[in-house]
Amino acid sequence: MTTAVEIDDLSFAYPGADRPALERVSLMVPAGESVALLGASGAGKTTLLALLDGRLLAWRGRASVLGAPIDPDHPPSRDRRADSGFIFQEFALVERSTVLRNVLNGRLGRMPPLRAVLGAPTPSDLEVARAALDDCGISDLADRRVDSLSGGQRQRVAIARCLAQEPRLILADEPVSNLDPARAAEILTLLTGVAGARGATVLFSSHQPDLARRFAQRIVGMRGGRIVFDVPVAELNEDATADLYRDGVSVSDVGLRAVT
Amino acid sequence: MRSRRFGGIAAGTLVAGAVLWSFATSDLEVSRMMSAGPRVAEFLGRMFPPDPTVMDEIVKGSAETLRIAILGSLGAVILSVPLGILASETMVSPVLYRPVRTLLAFIRAVPLILVAMLMVGAVGLGPLPGIIAIAFHATGMLAKFYAEAIDGVARRPVAALESAGAGPLARLRHAIWPQMAPVVARDTIFRFELNLRESLILGIVGAGGIGFYIQTYVRSFQYDKAASVTLAVIVMVVAIEAINVALRRRFA
Repeated sequence: MTTAVEIDDLSFAYPGADRPALERVSLMVPAGESVALLGASGAGKTTLLALLDGRLLAWRGRASVLGAPIDPDHPPSRDRRADSGFIFQEFALVERSTVLRNVLNGRLGRMPPLRAVLGAPTPSDLEVARAALDDCGISDLADRRVDSLSGGQRQRVAIARCLAQEPRLILADEPVSNLDPARAAEILTLLTGVAGARGATVLFSSHQPDLARRFAQRIVGMRGGRIVFDVPVAELNEDATADLYRDGVSVSDVGLRAVT
Repeated sequence: MRSRRFGGIAAGTLVAGAVLWSFATSDLEVSRMMSAGPRVAEFLGRMFPPDPTVMDEIVKGSAETLRIAILGSLGAVILSVPLGILASETMVSPVLYRPVRTLLAFIRAVPLILVAMLMVGAVGLGPLPGIIAIAFHATGMLAKFYAEAIDGVARRPVAALESAGAGPLARLRHAIWPQMAPVVARDTIFRFELNLRESLILGIVGAGGIGFYIQTYVRSFQYDKAASVTLAVIVMVVAIEAINVALRRRFA
């Protein structure tokens, strides 16, 4: 398999919204690459990542993830959900459970259903979880409850939970925007590092051009639900980047106002 | 402005009318009201010193009250788990949770003592009607609390486990339950405390427990014995409160 993500002419609108959240988006991400989605709030980054994670239905166009098409009418199977890991801006951890328990939650999609409900990990599940903790530098926190951790530590736990899924694609939605700049660079170093070591593809979103430039091989600029550029880091154009955050109305806005 | 003043006058007239009506039709004599204070004081005086010889009855009655509260609470928990899930906005559709919530509100509106009297009529004297009454009455509140506990958990961790490939039951067990467990423990202990307090008086209508002795001694003018039983009840309530506080710290 050589492509991790391949989407073609993809459009999606949230129910009741007057404008599409994604409009005729096409994108190809080769396996093993690290790609940043760059854009302002509302550009469609979160929607695109959620769609690739199989959490949105009723979109139009074609999309395949890890070599197999995803279905706009049905949620993906447990196996396929486990194959792509998701890292949330707000960590999305079970606060009252321990770090190890949270990381083992990443194994649930890999366990038979009954074992998953009982939460009885096999020795190999534990081994995978321990290795993930180790890679994220938090082995010493394994028995701590998540609600006693700092933001940076929490995001390490979330990355470890994702690694416990043994994903081949990691989707990360603004993984560092809740963290201070030093912590943000640390977490992205970790994320791209562990993904690279495992040969997993990373697609992360950010609204900070400097972080995108530092940690991605390729940058995809989004604005108003469309992809406006898709370039290797070396070719990133300052003007085009600034354009993503430009205030004012786009041509389509003007058109909408003219008719309403 | 005018209509507000008119509303004030109307409300004042209504309240005054209600008070006058209550006085006029309750056969109250001023002399009897004046002497009520000293009479109550004298009555309390007859309760002292409390008679300690009723220890056996206290132990027997307290044990029965405790058993009624424990089994009544158990029954309420068993009824509240499914009803709580069915009354939850995040687990079932409005078609289901709306009628279930209405049913729970109706259950809460029926006074415990009325349920107990009906149960005594239905199944006879003793602890059984008390247990049934407590289980029924407590479910109205406990199932509502459980539903609120389910609906109160953070949704993001649940979504994260779904994204990782966990099924609905695995998500309930590993993302929802850890978040709601302390709330369920706190609410259940709170309801048990209320059940224990409320079951103390069930004996008065024949539904078993220590209340039976208070009623018996007051009716037979053995106020010193009634005082001992009352003191025992107070000690029990304080003890329940202390245990509750300790448990709350543990689960916080």
